[in-house]
Amino acid sequence: MDIAIKSKEEDRITLVIEGVDVPFINAIRRICMMEVPTMAIEELGIFKNDSRVFDEVLAHRLGLVPIKTDLESIIPRDECDCDDHCPKCSVTLLLKEKGPKTVYSGDLNSQDAKITPVHDTIPLLKLRGDEEVELEAIAQLGTGLEHAKWQPTTVAAYKYYPEITIDTEKCEACADCASECPRGVLEFDEKENKILVVDPENCSMCKTCVKDCEMEAITVEGRDDKFIFQLESDGSLKPEEVISAACDILAAKSQKIIEFTEGES
Amino acid sequence: MIPVRCLSCGKVVSAYFEEYKKRTDEGEDPKEVLEDLGINKYCCRRMFISHVEVW
Repeated sequence: MDIAIKSKEEDRITLVIEGVDVPFINAIRRICMMEVPTMAIEELGIFKNDSRVFDEVLAHRLGLVPIKTDLESIIPRDECDCDDHCPKCSVTLLLKEKGPKTVYSGDLNSQDAKITPVHDTIPLLKLRGDEEVELEAIAQLGTGLEHAKWQPTTVAAYKYYPEITIDTEKCEACADCASECPRGVLEFDEKENKILVVDPENCSMCKTCVKDCEMEAITVEGRDDKFIFQLESDGSLKPEEVISAACDILAAKSQKIIEFTEGES
Repeated sequence: MIPVRCLSCGKVVSAYFEEYKKRTDEGEDPKEVLEDLGINKYCCRRMFISHVEVW
């Protein structure tokens, strides 16, 4: 397996992965979305809410606020030996505000300085006059399997690596394919009088160029052992952390199967 | 109030809405503001351009 990082930003990573098959990369994709744990607010005690936002709506909005997760320092609540919840398996966030003002996610007062909302500017509710809100929120680990608020990714997708070949014997250099390509993958080189593939990774495999080529000189195919994998995170984990956590989970699952089959024989 | 996340993909859009509103009210082109804020997918972009703040 050969992995190259094509681009990397704060919350987005694009990889070119070579030498794997579809079931493998699809397993990684699905684990990234569904089984990598993150933090989200799960329990809420609302002591006072004078605003016009219903308690249920407020709870829903709070649940969707992404929270910075450190997978090393916190354990899932059902694996913890405490009765209800404790600092090992959960984080309490307090909110007490008085209007008139807009209450933001940054106003949530976390008991753990490292585990805080990713964004400070998410509007949660608006308070008019002297309306007050007071609540206690408990954030815990969970997976996307249970609720989408625990999904660490907003984009987790792969596509076949496009392979564009031009048969130079058939090609008459009419440049129709280059002008028709909606993504600027092909370019006509006037000096050499031939078509150049300038940006193959941007190709969406729409095959407009194939349809437009009267000489049938161009073919577009996807390689099924090389993929472009794109992942965007919601900020709770870094994209590379999501992928490495997903690989660990897949390895643990494979190990389970190996042990099971060895135990049978 | 704008939904916390994009309805389709789940990206947090609400965190950027106030800046978007402020900058477009000042006369900036919504397209340029969205690009500057890193809102590239069309599902997230429609959350901004179609939202009406009622209360």
